[in-house]
Amino acid sequence: MRRLSAEARFGLVVLALFGAVALLAPLLAPYDPHAFSGAPLERPSRAHPLGTNDVGHDILSELIYGTRISLAVALAAGAGTVLIGTLIGGMAGYAGGWADRLLMRLVDGMMSLPRLPLLILLIAFLGSGLPQTILVISLLFWPTTARVVRAHVQSIRTRGYVRMARLFGGGHLYVFFRHILPQIAPVVAHGLVVSAGHAVAMEAGLAFLGLGDPTAKSWGLMVRFALNLPGLFLTGRWAWWALPPALCITLLILALTFVGIGTERAFNPRLNRRWQ
Amino acid sequence: MLTVRDLRVTFSVDGRARVRAVDGVSFDLERGGAMGVVGETGAGKTTLARALLGLHPTECVQGSVRLDGRELVGLSEEEWRAVRWRRIALVVQSVGTALDPVYRVGEQIGEPMRFHLGLSPAEAWARAEEVARRVGLSSRHLRAYPHQLSGGEKQRALLAMALACDPDVLVLDEPTSGQDMLSRARLLDLLAGLRRERGTGLLVISHDLAAVARLAERVAVLYAGKVVEMGPTEAVFGDPRHPYTWGLVHSYPDMSTARDLRSIRGHPPDPVGPPPGCRFHPRCTQAVERCRHEEPPMVEMNGRRVACHLGGLQTLLRAEGLRKVFLVENGDAREPLEAVRDVYLEIREGEVVALVGETGSGKTTLGRMLVGLLSPDGGRVVLEGRDLTAARGQERRLLARRVQLVPQDPFDAVNPRMTVAEVVREPLEVQKIGTPQEREERVRSVLRAVGLPTDPEFLALHAHELSGGQLQRVVIARALVLEPKLLIADEPVAMLDPSEQARVLNLLKEIQVERGLALLLISHDLALVRKVADRILVMQGGRIVEEGPGSRVVTQPAHEHTRALLESAPRLRT
Repeated sequence: MRRLSAEARFGLVVLALFGAVALLAPLLAPYDPHAFSGAPLERPSRAHPLGTNDVGHDILSELIYGTRISLAVALAAGAGTVLIGTLIGGMAGYAGGWADRLLMRLVDGMMSLPRLPLLILLIAFLGSGLPQTILVISLLFWPTTARVVRAHVQSIRTRGYVRMARLFGGGHLYVFFRHILPQIAPVVAHGLVVSAGHAVAMEAGLAFLGLGDPTAKSWGLMVRFALNLPGLFLTGRWAWWALPPALCITLLILALTFVGIGTERAFNPRLNRRWQ
Repeated sequence: MLTVRDLRVTFSVDGRARVRAVDGVSFDLERGGAMGVVGETGAGKTTLARALLGLHPTECVQGSVRLDGRELVGLSEEEWRAVRWRRIALVVQSVGTALDPVYRVGEQIGEPMRFHLGLSPAEAWARAEEVARRVGLSSRHLRAYPHQLSGGEKQRALLAMALACDPDVLVLDEPTSGQDMLSRARLLDLLAGLRRERGTGLLVISHDLAAVARLAERVAVLYAGKVVEMGPTEAVFGDPRHPYTWGLVHSYPDMSTARDLRSIRGHPPDPVGPPPGCRFHPRCTQAVERCRHEEPPMVEMNGRRVACHLGGLQTLLRAEGLRKVFLVENGDAREPLEAVRDVYLEIREGEVVALVGETGSGKTTLGRMLVGLLSPDGGRVVLEGRDLTAARGQERRLLARRVQLVPQDPFDAVNPRMTVAEVVREPLEVQKIGTPQEREERVRSVLRAVGLPTDPEFLALHAHELSGGQLQRVVIARALVLEPKLLIADEPVAMLDPSEQARVLNLLKEIQVERGLALLLISHDLALVRKVADRILVMQGGRIVEEGPGSRVVTQPAHEHTRALLESAPRLRT
């Protein structure tokens, strides 16, 4: 197995930990995050390690269950982004000619749009909810992946073995799935990880702005509720209420970024040399 | 003068198996004419010669041989005596045993005259001397005993004997075999002179095509007892129509060509059980189902007769006015570059054609259009009568089985993520041919054919674990796995070192003969391709500037570009 860099290993470990927490949430969490398990605004204690929020929910339990939502959004929106990006980028790169020009102008157009305002607009239009969040993130973030995929497909398309496969009588779909997709798998994997990171940040941002699903208590939503409390910073409550979810968001994005760098090295040998 | 119709000679072996050594041969020989009969050993040439002389038991011979209207088949031994030697004489092939060792040569030459013309021994000797002089023997030779003469002299003595009674028809069975080139040339002069001066009709039976070409204006090609092609010698040898004639002519060593000897795949059939249908079909490169069951009739076509269901050698691929223009960026403007301009070419079944030209002459572009990888801007490619350029979908997929490409760079042509087995199997999977087991078996057999191992370890290797030569063989194997009729090899050895070049080129040539496929060899190296090419096309600036048989193009280049290519060919010594 290829040796992984320290960053990538760190990222993988963190991701694995988050994954484990998400999976084992019912076992790890001391309370149901929606149960009124204590008095409102309790300070950290043996019973509530991170205290309770303004309605008496256990903050640690909220944090643990929030991992599920953040990871689900990361995975789903990342996958959606990469799926659209790979399809459109792959089509443009493989077909070339006018189809390529058309699709790439679309990509340029998408990338020149200010994304956050558009995101807000779309959510306002579609309504807030986890599926909407995932859909909107996927629809807005695919162009980056599409560009990278297109560039790789363009170079692979001209390889002799692709031409030869056509010569044996292989159709375009066969050629694309047999010869091109496996070659761009590392690029797609990298795109997935990076998009997942974006998705986490976007979801948190939307939730923070109050555009997330109010019933899906994600980390972003926790931060929003914490900041709604007047005098949060004066009472020191921010340290166990707002900081932990913010740290989790940061750590997850950092881990995804590190893994992303690691996957990039798999298909970009120039990076490899510089990092050795 | 001599009219042979449907002549058949049947022998029984062990009293049971019947061997038809000559099967329905018909031809005419005019007074003073000359006819050649050519074919491989065992084709029935000598049997035919002996049948014309009535040397087989009567019951073995059917059909008709008429000499000036007189039927010879079925004559009694008594009646034959008046005909043999006087009207029709034979010079046999086995020089060593044809002369009686205890008589002087002169006596033996005189013997037919004493016997048939009733001359006295002295008269016979005198005429023997005269005849011997004509064939270049002196009286010293006549007084000698056979063992004192050389092989060539004995051959002349036999010829003198055959000429002794001044026959109308002289049948020569392998007259030139075992002779050195100089005495062969003298003998051919002699026979030509004889024909001119005396009007003797010659029937030259030989595998020496050059001798036949020199002596006979008409020729019949015999295969397994049957005539497969017959016509004017120049036409038959210069532009063979029957696949067998084509193979025979191309396997003949010729001073004017630099090509290595080609051979016809397989072996002549066993005379006891000849194949059904067309007897040549197991060795024929273009055999179709019909050839396996039905005997082809002799069909008259432009002055010659050919026995082939397909009307003779087929054109496999034809390019008609192919054009390709690329747009090349030049500053802000895009300038058209005519890579291929108005190219017409034909590749026939089983033929090796070399396309030679310098880098940038449009060879690769042309090759890609011929296999259908690139669509032409003008003209079309016709493969076995179907338009490859216009073919789509399923038709295109089926045509892909008929023509395959071996590209220049094997490293580029193989997906680095695939194993040897996967690479070679891919065309079968794409074409959905066979079950997984059958595919596995075909992969193995084709790998064996290109001289590669077939053990599981090798099959699991990836491209980067192979040498250039090995990888090129894998690519060749992949091209062969669909059993195409035409292989287009684009600089197949350019990336290899010289010894590997020779090996791979020999391999290609071997496979070409063995599998009976046509080969278009694209190369910049005239010195290399002339070793294997039957025909050479020279390309320059997108046009074919010269085209001709390999021998002619190399020895007498007509176009200056060909001359330039020849002069720049590598030489170790100047």
